[in-house]
Amino acid sequence: MKGFTFHKPRSLKEALAMLKEADGKAKIMAGGTDLLGAMKDGIMQPERLINLQEIPDLANIRPDNDRLHLGALVSLHEITVHPSIQKRFGILAQAAQEVGSPQLRNMGTLGGNLCQRPRCWYYRGDFVCLKRGGDQCFAVTGQNKYHAVIEGGPCFIVHPSDTAPALLAMDASVRIAGPDGEKIAALEKFFMTPRDNVTRENILEPDQILTEIMVPLPREGSRGIYLKARERRCWDFALASVALLLNIDDGICQEIRLVLGGIAPIPFRASKAEEVLKGKPIEIELIDQACRMALSGARPLASNAYKLELTQALIKQALLTLSNK
Amino acid sequence: MTHQIELIINGEHYELMVKANKTLLELLREDLDLTGTKMGCGTGDCGACTVLLDNRPVNACLVLAVEARGKEIVTIEGLAQGETLHPLQQAFIDHGAVQCGFCTPGMILTAKALLDNNPNPTEPMIRRAIAGNICRCTGYTKIVKAIMAVASR
Amino acid sequence: MLPNASGKVVVTVGRRVKTRVEEEGKIEEINVELPHEDLPPWEEKNLVWVGKGIPRVDGFEKCTGKAKYTYDIHLPGMLYGKILRCPHPHARLIRLDTSKAQRLSGVKAILSQENAPPIPWYNDSFLFDRTLRCVGEEVAAVAAVDEYIARDALDMIEAEYESLPFVVDPEEALRPGAPPVRPGGNLLDGKPIIYSRGEIEQGFDEADLIIEENFSTQVQAHACMETHGSVVNWEGDHLTIWESTQGVSDVREGMAKALGIPISKVRVIKDFMGGGFGSKTREGKYTVIAALLAKMTGRPVKLMLDRKEEFYATGHRPSSLQYVKAGVKKDGSLTAIYLRSIGACGAYETPLFPSKFSMIDALARPYRELYHCPNVKTEVYPVYNNIPVHTAQRAPGHVEGTFALEQVMDQAAHQLGMDPIALRMKNYALKDQVEDFPYTRKALDQCYQKGAEKIQWEKRNKKPGEKKALICEGIGMAGQIWGGGGGPPAYAIIKINQDGTANLLTGTQDIGTGSKTVFVQIASEELGISPKDITITLGDTETTPYAPRSSGSRTVPSVGPAVRSAAADAKRQLLDLAGSILDSKAEDLAIREGQIYLKNNPTRKIPLKEITQKMGNNMIMGVGSRGPNPPQAAINVFGAQFAHVAVNTATGEVRVLKVVSIHDAGRVINSMTLNNQIEGGIVQGMGYGLMEEVIWDKGTGIMLTPNLHAYKLPTMLDIPEVVPGVAEGSDPANNIGAKGIGEPPKIPTAPAIANAIYNAIGVRLKELPITPDKVLRALKI
Repeated sequence: MKGFTFHKPRSLKEALAMLKEADGKAKIMAGGTDLLGAMKDGIMQPERLINLQEIPDLANIRPDNDRLHLGALVSLHEITVHPSIQKRFGILAQAAQEVGSPQLRNMGTLGGNLCQRPRCWYYRGDFVCLKRGGDQCFAVTGQNKYHAVIEGGPCFIVHPSDTAPALLAMDASVRIAGPDGEKIAALEKFFMTPRDNVTRENILEPDQILTEIMVPLPREGSRGIYLKARERRCWDFALASVALLLNIDDGICQEIRLVLGGIAPIPFRASKAEEVLKGKPIEIELIDQACRMALSGARPLASNAYKLELTQALIKQALLTLSNK
Repeated sequence: MTHQIELIINGEHYELMVKANKTLLELLREDLDLTGTKMGCGTGDCGACTVLLDNRPVNACLVLAVEARGKEIVTIEGLAQGETLHPLQQAFIDHGAVQCGFCTPGMILTAKALLDNNPNPTEPMIRRAIAGNICRCTGYTKIVKAIMAVASR
Repeated sequence: MLPNASGKVVVTVGRRVKTRVEEEGKIEEINVELPHEDLPPWEEKNLVWVGKGIPRVDGFEKCTGKAKYTYDIHLPGMLYGKILRCPHPHARLIRLDTSKAQRLSGVKAILSQENAPPIPWYNDSFLFDRTLRCVGEEVAAVAAVDEYIARDALDMIEAEYESLPFVVDPEEALRPGAPPVRPGGNLLDGKPIIYSRGEIEQGFDEADLIIEENFSTQVQAHACMETHGSVVNWEGDHLTIWESTQGVSDVREGMAKALGIPISKVRVIKDFMGGGFGSKTREGKYTVIAALLAKMTGRPVKLMLDRKEEFYATGHRPSSLQYVKAGVKKDGSLTAIYLRSIGACGAYETPLFPSKFSMIDALARPYRELYHCPNVKTEVYPVYNNIPVHTAQRAPGHVEGTFALEQVMDQAAHQLGMDPIALRMKNYALKDQVEDFPYTRKALDQCYQKGAEKIQWEKRNKKPGEKKALICEGIGMAGQIWGGGGGPPAYAIIKINQDGTANLLTGTQDIGTGSKTVFVQIASEELGISPKDITITLGDTETTPYAPRSSGSRTVPSVGPAVRSAAADAKRQLLDLAGSILDSKAEDLAIREGQIYLKNNPTRKIPLKEITQKMGNNMIMGVGSRGPNPPQAAINVFGAQFAHVAVNTATGEVRVLKVVSIHDAGRVINSMTLNNQIEGGIVQGMGYGLMEEVIWDKGTGIMLTPNLHAYKLPTMLDIPEVVPGVAEGSDPANNIGAKGIGEPPKIPTAPAIANAIYNAIGVRLKELPITPDKVLRALKI
């Protein structure tokens, strides 16, 4: 890696001041597993790293009455083993378990997992693509088996996070600290499509820091599941993934939130599929219909159409599992 | 920019000056001649550089030396007590879990962290814990066997 | 040499004979000296050490971090080398300006075409060529006081290129008008490599059933955990090289030639090494570059490739496109086999072998040899394309060819309504049909039988895909043939010490296979002392006698007999000595478990060390050499693998549940290291079958997978249960009865899995790797 200066602020205020002063030349560092990798790949070369590990409270797990507060620096490992998360926010624990490898989960953080950069092999390779300020998306006519089937264009990355679909399925929100103070945003407003901004994946400005993720306690009786299809069973990002939160009462679907990963530049809320099932009995014909509707409007590229069936298969499996069929 | 850091490696206290962009892996291998920890890929994709950082297995290639300030590191050199091998080291030899040996230090450390945390893991638990360590030679079977042998004692 | 019991000093006049030696399909006639004596084969019931799974003798160093690999070597004053590589798939270097880099503090030397000798490399290229033919080719190199400065210096070198038309796809490279990779056209030698026996068209006329299929296999990376690299040091005009290599003698010879210095002035040392799998068989450009930088600076230089360079600059298993047409009669007998294939060479011919032998043709060998068939024709088109030159990888050619051939056989069995094993037995080749030699031993039938039992072959679906379910299970099998007979030359020396221990020296390599341990066991067995009393030194060209490169699965069968010979020679001298001290005849004495005893009265014994103590400073040194192979015979390793898989028909994911692998590799010297090879080979074969692939972007010629996340290696969580086994018995081909096992286990895995998938879902997957997207597409058809 190229040289840089390393800073470990003691407070959020100090961190924000450093960021502002760096005027775009600094990067926030949490666990560092994506950041250092990206720096080694040469896709970013910050002059300063501002490491947040010494700031108190950023790694807290704090339940209150109706929601769980997760500091952005909580490690993925911690999420997988924390008893309350396992018990009441199981879908998040399952998703965190699917990330990377045990070593990466020991260093990697929840905030980092949400903010990580995409894994497109053009973006990460020796290509000056759209996302890196060039004028072309090489995946369109190139090797695109891992790229987006929906919401893509002009760039076709898929969002690589596993925790993002799970958190979105739980209607999480994020706390963002900036020079002008704090704000809270719903997670579904946090991610950006390439149409909105091809060089970023989320709304964080260079002088802002994601500090906390808030997850509402799912309704009593809710069940959640996170399924991930992959080519090998460690490290791999999703070929497609499904985060499903379901509340069934008396055989009727009271509440459903279905979010898809690995198929779009953002964690994708499959609202059309939800509409098929919400308020209805969970019957096999409706399940099949929901699967078909989930990615309606998708426009696959030359080599990634398989993601459509794959996603449908995962959605069906998730629905069948949670509805005990 | 250099930083002064103090840390404990294999039970010994060190005070060092390090550049910000030096990784923990480079510090161990180049500055301290602790070459038992290996460089396989540099990107967290193989586990050959696994060390224990405050008892947790991490990829040393993705940890900055400055991040290790105040922490306790254990490398493969820290396992044997003089001539007496750690049970895992002995088990790896006895059960044929070592071939070229390049992944072995990382494997043993990850296994040690597992057994320190849970002395009686099931086989699936062992597999999940060691999944972040690639071996290109053994096909993994004997590695699991070696760890199971120590676990069931 | 000491006088024998009758007082005569026997001088062996080396009688020389010609013998056939095969390596990776290349067959040579070698002149070899006959060894001192014909050692009788060991008797199974008397074996003390051979056959046991004793732990590796170098396990301690590896488990404690004490083992020094090339990257771990640190010499005082050492500099670090880094190489500047071409970013274009085909280009001419027009301008190179290293002046800024030269001025960077800490940079001690820069090497490029401007100041490097024009050392020939590949066909007609050089160490630094002005024409660069694939991304990653070497353009310049820097030596600096640390790696950071070396990297910074590379960034400061200004290189300007003129881009030239390029082609990465092998089929496109063959089309008329394709961008020329090399002068003279993109087809190697301008014509296919053709082999023919019998009358192919007549063969097809005689067939009752014809199977025609197309297959494609991918480029596979070795992905050794330790990358390539060297540490070099000049002391005056003597060069020492520490190299991660499978062939210290090959590196020595190659470096002496490249640098134009005497071989006696080059020493190559390989102690520990993090895998080779065929990629580390000769010196690299990085070795020569390191030596030149070291000469320029007067300091040692370490030049290790990083993982990205490892993908770009060290070669891979080539891809293949295979069209297969096979004809069978109703009773299952093969009447004709035809193969037409295209293999991607890369930008040059492989530097491994002389130009007339192409490793691309190696994939045709199973077609020619595995089954009895009177009419066979293979037509192989090796094609140049602008990717790194291919190299050998664990069973070159056989892995690719067997994937296709064994699926064709499976398909034929299905269409004939015949058991796949019965079909193979129907076409059991009793001899090598290419050279018309009998096999020294072929126990493939035992492999089929034993494997079938252990997988419970009768549990497979009688009709492929007959069970409709979310998860469909299936069982499939595939066979293999490989060389693995080894041959001369190979030498070993055993020095007996005064305390009855011994030092064994041989210039071969232990590339992780456990050969160190195997040779200690052989020496122990023959000498009659414990393995803990023998210390082995390998892989140092200055102090150990010649032994071949560790490739072609030939280390054990080549060097093992030499070790046994050396031990027998030392033993004879020991018994002569004992005879003269004990006033007996040497031929009445024997050694076992460290004791010398009278053969006809074993209770009369004396510890060996009491005899050796009387040696004083006289040396007992046993010298052994590998004798000739049996004349007019083919030595081959055979085997069969059986796979049990589960296919998720909704997601396309394939799980391999179990693989049984039985091989005829002759006598087992060390059961643990043998099983290691089988287990490891299967997982590599599984990676080849299901997930590994080096991929290029066709539009730019740039590799998309030069790292270990895009290139997917099997992890602990992906592996099946593995059941390794052997066909009991030894092969009479050499004095230890053993053949090589390093490569054979990788050969049948992918086709066994593919045949199991076919059994599970009734759909044949003919394109590797078999990833979920391909399974889903195949299921839709």
